[in-house]
Amino acid sequence: MALKDFIPMQERCSNCSFCKWIPFDKVKSVRFAENCPAVVHGGFNTYAARGRFQMGLAIAKGELDYTDEMARITHECLDCGACDVACKVCRYNLEPLDHNRELKHDALLKGHILPAQLKMLDAFNEEKTLVVGAKKADRTKWAEGIEWAKKPEVLFFPGCKYSYDKKLQKTARNAAQLLLKAGVKLGYLGDAEMCCAGRLYQMGFFEQFDKRAGANIKAIENSGVKTIVTPCSDCYHAFKRLYAAKGLKVEVLHVVEYLDRMLKEGTLKFTKAIDLTVTYHDPCHLGRQGEPYEAWEGHEKKILNQVHTWEPRRPRYNGSKGIYEEPRNILRAIPGVKLVEMERIKEYSWCCGAGSGCSVTDKEFSEWTAKERIEEANSTGAEALVTACPWCKDNFEKAGGIKVVDIIDLALKAL
Amino acid sequence: MALSKEIYAAFEAVVGKNNISQDPGVLQTYRCKASQSSAHYGPYNHITPMPQAVILPGSTKEVQGVVRLCNKYKIEFKASTTFWSAHGYISSDNAVQLDMRRMKNFTIDPKNMVAQIEPYVIGATLQAEAMKYGLTCNIPGVGCSSSTLASTSGWTGGGPISVFAGVNYENFLCAEWVLPTGDIVYSGTAGAGGDWSCGEGPGPSLRACFKGSTGQTGDFGVCTRISVKLSPWPGPKYLPSTGYAPVYLADLPENFRAYCICFPNWDSWAKAVMKINDNYILYIGHRQFSMFGNKVKGAMLKIITDQDLQLCDLPALMEDPETDKFNKSIAIEAYIVLAGFTPDDLAWKEAALDEILKEFGGWKDEWFLEKDHENYLLTYLIRLGHKNLNYVLCGSYEGHYGLCGHNQVVSASVMEEASAIREKAQQEGTYMAATGGDSMMGSLAGVGGGGGPMGCEFFMCFDAHDPKSVDECRDFIDNVSRPWSLGKGFGMEMCNITSKMRRPDAYSYTQEEQNAMYKDIPGANPFVYQWYMREAFNPNHLCSSYYQTCDPKAVEKK
Ligand SMILES: Cc1cc2nc3c(=O)[nH]c(=O)nc-3n(C[C@H](O)[C@H](O)[C@H](O)COP(=O)(O)OP(=O)(O)OC[C@H]3O[C@@H](n4cnc5c(N)ncnc54)[C@H](O)[C@@H]3O)c2cc1C
Ligand code: SF4
Ligand code: SF4
Repeated sequence: MALKDFIPMQERCSNCSFCKWIPFDKVKSVRFAENCPAVVHGGFNTYAARGRFQMGLAIAKGELDYTDEMARITHECLDCGACDVACKVCRYNLEPLDHNRELKHDALLKGHILPAQLKMLDAFNEEKTLVVGAKKADRTKWAEGIEWAKKPEVLFFPGCKYSYDKKLQKTARNAAQLLLKAGVKLGYLGDAEMCCAGRLYQMGFFEQFDKRAGANIKAIENSGVKTIVTPCSDCYHAFKRLYAAKGLKVEVLHVVEYLDRMLKEGTLKFTKAIDLTVTYHDPCHLGRQGEPYEAWEGHEKKILNQVHTWEPRRPRYNGSKGIYEEPRNILRAIPGVKLVEMERIKEYSWCCGAGSGCSVTDKEFSEWTAKERIEEANSTGAEALVTACPWCKDNFEKAGGIKVVDIIDLALKAL
Repeated sequence: MALSKEIYAAFEAVVGKNNISQDPGVLQTYRCKASQSSAHYGPYNHITPMPQAVILPGSTKEVQGVVRLCNKYKIEFKASTTFWSAHGYISSDNAVQLDMRRMKNFTIDPKNMVAQIEPYVIGATLQAEAMKYGLTCNIPGVGCSSSTLASTSGWTGGGPISVFAGVNYENFLCAEWVLPTGDIVYSGTAGAGGDWSCGEGPGPSLRACFKGSTGQTGDFGVCTRISVKLSPWPGPKYLPSTGYAPVYLADLPENFRAYCICFPNWDSWAKAVMKINDNYILYIGHRQFSMFGNKVKGAMLKIITDQDLQLCDLPALMEDPETDKFNKSIAIEAYIVLAGFTPDDLAWKEAALDEILKEFGGWKDEWFLEKDHENYLLTYLIRLGHKNLNYVLCGSYEGHYGLCGHNQVVSASVMEEASAIREKAQQEGTYMAATGGDSMMGSLAGVGGGGGPMGCEFFMCFDAHDPKSVDECRDFIDNVSRPWSLGKGFGMEMCNITSKMRRPDAYSYTQEEQNAMYKDIPGANPFVYQWYMREAFNPNHLCSSYYQTCDPKAVEKK
């Protein structure tokens, strides 16, 4: 879809501003009621999904051209999707998140690329990763010494962050070894693994994403596996939603889903007690955006004169079927761990600030977003903030102010 | 026309560089389709003017600084907070828009049952904070995403809970107001140097001077702080809800009941509602889901309470005999919540309700007696957090027919006639959603609050993206609905109010146009009075775009 194809949605946005707040039934306080980091940080309506619709409409109709400020605001969106969930509490025919992305894509097509995005793009093209400064040759180092299954049925895909970040490599290694020890026929693409490019999609680089997704789908298919398991929420979203739309047929699981399954089957048992009060941060691309993909092709159809529907029936992604209970089941199963919830959780969770490459392109905004979340985590009295995504973990650690734990590490400690 | 560098720098010095913008992209997001929420603001392709700058003041002092600069440079200004409708936007080319979102401080005084709030405290957040003290606020029909200060210091602010908690304009106590000249006034006990617990009176009120006859749409200056009356909430400190978006279900506390009460005909409906009000039974009372239209409301209720259903399921649901039965049961209905402050209180209210239902042949709809549906009803009505459902069918709507009076005007003949006219229009044209003739929605408390009168409107849903749909709905209201309404003596309907606020081209009416509109009003002319008020308080005419006035000279000329 091009920006002009969004004109009906842009015009049908009702200015209600629900996209600035968590679903109202869930509001517990003034302090933690807002949901869109971009508009809370930037202030002007422009930053919220409704403003993006309004700005996009004028651009699509040729009444406005990007200024540098407009391009900056366009890209100052975390792709967190909180606006999308809030809008769809009432609206069935608007797609604010898709529109946010298309606006970014449109800006890029018209040459409005941020300097830091250029660097990411260079790294992507030359070193096949979005981690600026990382070298392709170093990608597999984290896995040295692991004995993968000869005929793998399940593919372990750690993604760029776990592969390159020295602080995180151990987590990926432990996760892989845990699965292998449990008898999972686990394989690894090794040198053939490249960035999933999900983050590029979030930033609006659709063409580059398409190309990489095509290549990765081939590599995955050639490996002959039936399942991919990843500890990274961004990779998870890329495979589960974006690659699935491009024809990837294999089952996609996040490590937390795998561990939860093993807990239920009895093949995993936590024996060691960990005396810790924790709160869990739902990563946006595992939580509200982690819903399964459903194929659809169709068009708008008006019924009852003016009521907008879609023909055939269109899937509705509103965050209700994301991955929320699996990580919580794991935490509840660890003896001694006490889970206390923040005010903004599950489909209306506040973002960590790292989405859409903002931890690289817009560091101040990204860190501010993380700090907001840490304040919320601290308000629960938790000793640690647990998450299931390396990008979230890294961003929280950079912001500081609370102990941050990867759920995989916590689970491994309890074995 | 952009602000000169000098003027921009002067504003910037007051609010800081991050809180002012004249980037065209930013300015564009402070414009509004004239047809937003009402075809009567203007036709499809009209949009409110581009502000010269958008300014986000963070304190009363900053507001005062901005207003003084506006006076110095003769620039018009308009303050808005939640921007849910075209009336929140500027209406001349020589104007800056103030967005009040940075001001969101609040304090709650539980002993006096009062909250002191700044503009960006919305219904949802105020209610959530008040509940912690066993209190709640009134949430007007616009829903909880809108600024409580905006609807309290202006408008009427009537909604489902107003039957118990009062209408916002009644709950309005003290105010801190930056006048159009930049001076600050305090009203009520705050003005007398006391606390913020009591409004003005008896006698003339400053609030009324600043609000004007159409409320805040006729704003004078900027309201920076108000105190507002709170009401008892006999529920938990936080109303937890289960489920995932969009079907959130609060667990109905034991001392609450939520019902859909139904009647065999409109006459019994009207009499029963009057009797219910006379007996002070209700905590919440609203005719709500009827806004979808009588043909689809059963189907729509099934859709909005089921995660897997969508609008495309409407036709199949409408054909389903079960839904049809349900729809028939709730044809003439109202949605209510009872709250017991003691077990005896609840028992008495239940018994009184049952007796009234019996007297008028009414019943409690069975579908709503199911636990989940009862929970949904309470969740919906208590916070009004799903209010964008007003727009769900087509993306826009307008309220029409002038049934805004006493609920005794609701009689079988009136309702049936009004519904038949709409039904016919839906068969003859395709411009409005064909969801049935009766789409009358409104609070059982209505404009006066405290029970009795009710403010109701017929919903007409149109496609904001379809010029024909917008413009022909407008024609229907002007040519069919309005003459019928006036002929019946029901007075001003919603669209009449909206169309008087600004010209269809989204600019303010000139003084000459206003004179022509208002000079022939019989008796004491309120718009002449407002002309004098404006000349006294707003001598430079910098912020009264909707403040309707009539030059006394125009009246004399008659
Ligand atoms: C869908 C919908 C349904 C509605 N239903 C009802 C209803 O059932 N009952 C009812 O009473 N009303 C109803 N209204 C009108 C409604 O009460 C007002 O629109 C609402 O209270 C104000 O919210 P807003 O977001 O429009 O406010 P805003 O956009 O913030 O402003 C509304 C008006 O107040 C002025 N204003 C706002 N803040 C300030 C300030 N700080 N100082 C000076 N002026 C200010 C603005 O200039 C504007 O004229 C409805 C409106 C809509 C859009
Ligand atoms: S995706 Fe997130 S950051 Fe972007 S507009 Fe929506 S809520 Fe705001
Ligand atoms: S994007 Fe959705 S939630 Fe936001 S203002 Fe528009 S309709 Fe409302």
